[in-house]
Amino acid sequence: LIDGDAMIETSLPLHSRRQFLAENAMGIGAIALAWLSSEQSAKAVPAKLPVEPAQFDLKPKTPHFAPRAKAMISLFQHGGPSHVDLFDPKPELSRRSGSDYPGEVQFSFVNRASKTLFGSPWRFAKHGQCGTEVSELLPHFAEIVDDVCLVRSMHTGANGHEVSIRYFHGGIPGVTGRPTLGSWLVYGLGSESQDLPAYLVLTDPDGHPVDGPSNWSNGFLPPLFQGTVLRPREPRILNLQPPSYLQGHIQNQNLAFLRELNQRHLDEHPGETDLEARIASYELAAAMQTAAAEALDISGESAATHKLYGLDHPDTREYGARCLIARRLVERGVRFVQLFLGGQPWDTHSSIRHSLPAICRRTDQPSAALVKDLKQRGLLETTIVHWGGEIGRLPVTENHGDPLQAGRDHNGQGFSMWLAGGGFQPGMTYGDTDEFGHRAVTDVVTPNDFQATLLHLFGLDHSQLSHLLGGREQQITAGREARVVREIIGA
Amino acid sequence: MWWQPALLIVSAVTVVGYAIEVRAEPAPTFEADIRPILRAHCFDCHGATEEKEGGLDLRLVRFQLNGGDSGPAIVPGDPDASYLLARIRAGEMPPTAGKISPQETDTIARWIAAGAKTARPEPDSIAPGLGITDEERAWWSFRPIERPLISAETPIDRARTPIDSLLVASMPPGLTFSPDAEKRDLMLRAYFDLIGLPPTPDEVEQFLADGAPDAYEKLVDRLLASPHYGERWARHWLDAAGYADSEGGAMQDVVRAWAFKYRDYVIRSFNSDKPFDQFLHEQLAGDELAGPITGDLSPEQIERFTATGFLRMAADGTASGDASPEARNQVVADTLKIVTSSLLGLSVACAQCHDHRYDPIPQTDYYAIRAVFEPALDWQAWKTAGERQMSLYTAADRQRAAEIEADAQKIIAERAIKQAAYMAEALDKELARYDEPLRGELRAAYQAAPDQRTDAQQRLLEMHPSVNISEGVLYQYNQAAADDLKKYDERIAAVRAQKPDEEFLRILTEPAGHVPETRLFHRGDHRQPRQIIAPRTLSICSPEGGGAHIDSKSADLSTTGRRLAFARWLTGLGNPLTARVIANRVWMHHFGRGIVSTPADFGRLGSPPTHPALLDWLAAELRDSGWSLKHLHRAIMSSTAYRQSSRRQPGQISLDPQNRYYTRQNVLRLDAEVLRDRALATSGTLDRTMFGPPVGVREDDTGQVVVDGAVQRRSLYLLQRRTQPVSLMQAFDAPVMTTNCESRTSSTAATQALMLMNGEFWLSQASALAQRAQREPAPALAADLIAGLPLRWEALPPIWQFGYGSCDAASGRTTSFTPLAHWTGSSWQGGAALPDDRVGWVMLHADGGHPGDNPNFAAIRRWTAPADGVLAVRGALSHGSENGDGVRGRVVAASLGIAGQWQVHNGQIETPVDRIVVKEGDTVDFVTDCLEHVTSDSFTWRIELSLTTDEGLAVYRSQEGLSGPQSDAAVELASVVRAWQLAYLRLPTREELQAASDFMTSQFRYLRRVPGHTASGQSPQNQALANLCHALVSSNEFLYVD
Repeated sequence: LIDGDAMIETSLPLHSRRQFLAENAMGIGAIALAWLSSEQSAKAVPAKLPVEPAQFDLKPKTPHFAPRAKAMISLFQHGGPSHVDLFDPKPELSRRSGSDYPGEVQFSFVNRASKTLFGSPWRFAKHGQCGTEVSELLPHFAEIVDDVCLVRSMHTGANGHEVSIRYFHGGIPGVTGRPTLGSWLVYGLGSESQDLPAYLVLTDPDGHPVDGPSNWSNGFLPPLFQGTVLRPREPRILNLQPPSYLQGHIQNQNLAFLRELNQRHLDEHPGETDLEARIASYELAAAMQTAAAEALDISGESAATHKLYGLDHPDTREYGARCLIARRLVERGVRFVQLFLGGQPWDTHSSIRHSLPAICRRTDQPSAALVKDLKQRGLLETTIVHWGGEIGRLPVTENHGDPLQAGRDHNGQGFSMWLAGGGFQPGMTYGDTDEFGHRAVTDVVTPNDFQATLLHLFGLDHSQLSHLLGGREQQITAGREARVVREIIGA
Repeated sequence: MWWQPALLIVSAVTVVGYAIEVRAEPAPTFEADIRPILRAHCFDCHGATEEKEGGLDLRLVRFQLNGGDSGPAIVPGDPDASYLLARIRAGEMPPTAGKISPQETDTIARWIAAGAKTARPEPDSIAPGLGITDEERAWWSFRPIERPLISAETPIDRARTPIDSLLVASMPPGLTFSPDAEKRDLMLRAYFDLIGLPPTPDEVEQFLADGAPDAYEKLVDRLLASPHYGERWARHWLDAAGYADSEGGAMQDVVRAWAFKYRDYVIRSFNSDKPFDQFLHEQLAGDELAGPITGDLSPEQIERFTATGFLRMAADGTASGDASPEARNQVVADTLKIVTSSLLGLSVACAQCHDHRYDPIPQTDYYAIRAVFEPALDWQAWKTAGERQMSLYTAADRQRAAEIEADAQKIIAERAIKQAAYMAEALDKELARYDEPLRGELRAAYQAAPDQRTDAQQRLLEMHPSVNISEGVLYQYNQAAADDLKKYDERIAAVRAQKPDEEFLRILTEPAGHVPETRLFHRGDHRQPRQIIAPRTLSICSPEGGGAHIDSKSADLSTTGRRLAFARWLTGLGNPLTARVIANRVWMHHFGRGIVSTPADFGRLGSPPTHPALLDWLAAELRDSGWSLKHLHRAIMSSTAYRQSSRRQPGQISLDPQNRYYTRQNVLRLDAEVLRDRALATSGTLDRTMFGPPVGVREDDTGQVVVDGAVQRRSLYLLQRRTQPVSLMQAFDAPVMTTNCESRTSSTAATQALMLMNGEFWLSQASALAQRAQREPAPALAADLIAGLPLRWEALPPIWQFGYGSCDAASGRTTSFTPLAHWTGSSWQGGAALPDDRVGWVMLHADGGHPGDNPNFAAIRRWTAPADGVLAVRGALSHGSENGDGVRGRVVAASLGIAGQWQVHNGQIETPVDRIVVKEGDTVDFVTDCLEHVTSDSFTWRIELSLTTDEGLAVYRSQEGLSGPQSDAAVELASVVRAWQLAYLRLPTREELQAASDFMTSQFRYLRRVPGHTASGQSPQNQALANLCHALVSSNEFLYVD
């Protein structure tokens, strides 16, 4: 898809100190560290950036106003979880199941489309003190509804995966090449961790989501703000350890000698900040060898914790381990962690009766466990947990010829997501779709509203967090209409 | 235009002053200020197409005043009464993505308030579409290239060339070039820029010694003549062309077996300095240039067809079986994107769905260019990957292959006869087990054609499965027959193997007379075709505004000739873009950034040129030199701007912190490929073979993609598989091709540091460098440098020594110990031959050894305590022959005497010694001698020593302790000097060598004392040297070039 704004993909010119200094998510932590010792933490990225900022860094920054959240874990459910089967009960849809949808449906796959309403095969029941209705497919989610703000009126306006996922991550529907939410957060707030990347992405053993690495791209921001991928299997970070004969004292000696060589070289190149950054990258790498290994090692977690996340069961073991790692990372000061699924397990075009329970079994318990665990450790107060995909699914059946094959097509007109912690109002639902669940009709929330609200909880004004590109100020919400959804923010 | 550089400063200042004055209250005009906003946000629905939403056409102010269904869009002088503004302010317009910013809204309001002025009277009528305004036409990159005239009379400052004059002219007061770089720095810069490889130390010495005034110019000439020049610069072009050795696509990423032919063509073209216009013509229309094929392809024809591989570089999902129209159209779109971004420097691809929102590229232009390529890239008459290959067989090859195939067919026929006979024989034998009439019925059933069998016959065969003899199971009935047939197969294969190797090209060409219609796709959707579009060039580059019609159909060509005409237009005088784009890229690769820092976007969203006159000078120079890239390199590299130092000059940093004015050279990190190639060249393991199929890659145990096998070719030749980028390359910013790479970033990341610190490749390079440094003679000056340095590890003996001698039973001491003189690489012995004339059979290897033939030639493995402590010995002595009388092993401690003694003959015995108290420097000898008989005395004696000291427990194993000779400190330091010279291409300073010596000493002490920190088979000294080399090749001096 090509759009006028897509041309903003243009990579940064290879010049200026931003280039020299600050390149990758892990690039500069140690320099930031050095500065920290002598300086107070800096002001937030100024509301109006100077034309040429002197440099970019990962120093912790004071936000525009008092924040509620310090960190965020996004459990991104790419593919389109079927809200009418999970979060958004529609009695009218069930009642009229089998009859025609009385209006226009926005389809993606016209060749397999029908207007036949397809009531959810699963039962809903009220849970918690708040009484939020939840599908029987999500028994673990049902246990945390009192901690969750469930938004039932999400709307991207486009049914396609790509268009909507780019909207969620980059701020403009269908446009790639823009910085993602995590990049903006780290750009605006810096890093709390001195030996771990501030923005980490935990990918799935089955591969990347659609668009691959552009889901954690720094776009036109300096590469310093790019997401760093943790591999789905061990070793989660490549080359983290040297061969055993080089470990310990010997490597320290080697690095000390390297530092000496680099220092002599730097003395002859005063002011060459790229060289300083390279030196810092070695320091950070050395620190990471210990810190990352420790952060990623879940063997020391209690048996109860392992059980909580479902590590004792083959269905939940993999996703549970990633959720647990996400908690450990946030505990250690990582700003933004995002989990992705490979393939498109939520993209239930066909055989939804089998495919939807399967992916729920894989993700429900670990996702709920994360909220419970953060809460019991007192981290939920300042950590936002986000659970949701880029679209939902239609109330009408797809492949309706054979009931066993029946599925649901994409729906970007109305769908659900949930949020917990970090200042979101717990135990509430917000917004509605129409009586069948096709379109969000009251209190509609767009990805731009979502972004503005998230930044607000981090103490940032989405319209003020800007980066200058080609003479134009850029924000995550790209000058588009975006409102902070104050109704879902807790007192 | 003629001007003196000095004048430019004045005029520039004047312009700035003027601009400030005017900017106080600029009156916005429609054409200059408002139209670009409306173009970006509104024209899609209100102007670009036939139907206008709400009947409103915003293309002219006149139309806005008339308004649409809701009345006038604007009321001049009254913003608040203007409907257009009201809808924008309410956020209702535009209704889709991309709201108009507050600043833009404000501009519109000010324009209306000031009376909605136009820059000139509006035309009485306008053609459909957006057209192109004078303002758009005036955009810098569309203006003709004007070569600035340089005054030769008054050389300014240190200007050597016109480039310098132009740069100096734009420098603000107080700035000037830095001093020239040191000769060595300049040399390295030239090497890495032009060939991407370091010089050898000898080349450095020769150049530094060359005092001729044109020594540098000669160096540049030498490098331009080097075959490695083409390799380095081909890589830049392959980035722009989106080169990959695989098809990409969602499914399989199939390898493109013959893509390398195009890569090799590019290398050869650069090396021969093929005029760049010709280079482009060949890549776009090589098939049309090749002329008719009559008989065998000529070398020129092969070259030209190979060139069209450029148009086959886009990722291609149809190659892995996706035959959908979407996949085909995606290939066409990606190909157009590669062509236009690399050759026109415009985001033409943005006009695929609608008129370009920022640049004057109407959607019809996009399809006009598509029409140029459609006859060859027709999505409705798609050529599969196999159909695009052209065989390089000559007629003779073909005939030879046919003859060989005929031979093969003869054997095949023989085989068939033989097989039929074997089958019949097996059947007879099997049927013999049955009586008539069943036998006859079974035979009839078997021999009936399977689809002719009656149900009864079918059942009969099912009931007697063993009768179903097929070729595949013949071996179960007659193994000899099967073996015999296999021999036929081998013969057939052997005969066919004699066919000439058949090579292929991946080409693009048009079927003769194929002229498909190109239609504009509404919103870029191939399911919504609209009007037919004729092939044309870009409208903006044609003075009349319509774009030059392309129709070069000539009698000579069986194809449409469209691509050839387009290619000639690209490099013709009418198109200012291509020459600028190429010149800008060349500049970018010499300075680390382009004059336009967005090399693929010279439009409004790109960056403007920092030095427009210089860019034009370079473009004109390129064009006027007959498109000689080597000429352009010489022009750039002879400038003071290029030759100056990269050191920041204290006085200038504050005035030009980002080096916008080229007041110094830039310190640049080596590109991924150059980095790897430098490491290989430095360690002496680079294989400089050029051309040919790519070197394979594989995923190693840890999931990293590495080179498969031991061959270390230049990185350019590694398999460029889209889904399997080599980890080291990717980490250092080599592009992972989706379409193409417009310019690379240069990142600094901890993951890179981890890769250099811990990655297997970098460690192996360090170790290879250490070995090379030890192998090669040290530089002549090394001795002077080393002289006088305190050599602090000389006095420390090795932990393990290997010798022979005798042990006096009475005193319980080793009475003589002579080190064995010869190291074979895996064992110590008396001389190169075994037995040695003097010491006989004595030898020691990792696991054991052999004693000499009398007690004075016992084999002695000596361990020296590196610290005070208590030692425990465990081990097993074994002897493996019935012959002779076995061997005797004794443990002789200097502090204690004989601590243990064992004999073994054709067996094994444990050799424990529980406790020996040792002082630092005490020896413990493991003495093995031959007893009475001197035959068959090979033994193994694996020993493990556990030393408990104040620091804890250290375990020394005899197998790990075997290593080659320990050189003395002076020799080792000479190796350090050599390593330094190889890595940095200079000798260490005395200070640096002192630091290196300190490092070696402290490492050596540690490694000697604490076992387990050397790579397998490495002595502590070698390991220390390898570690030092590791630091050298990981350091900034190695990774960056001044």
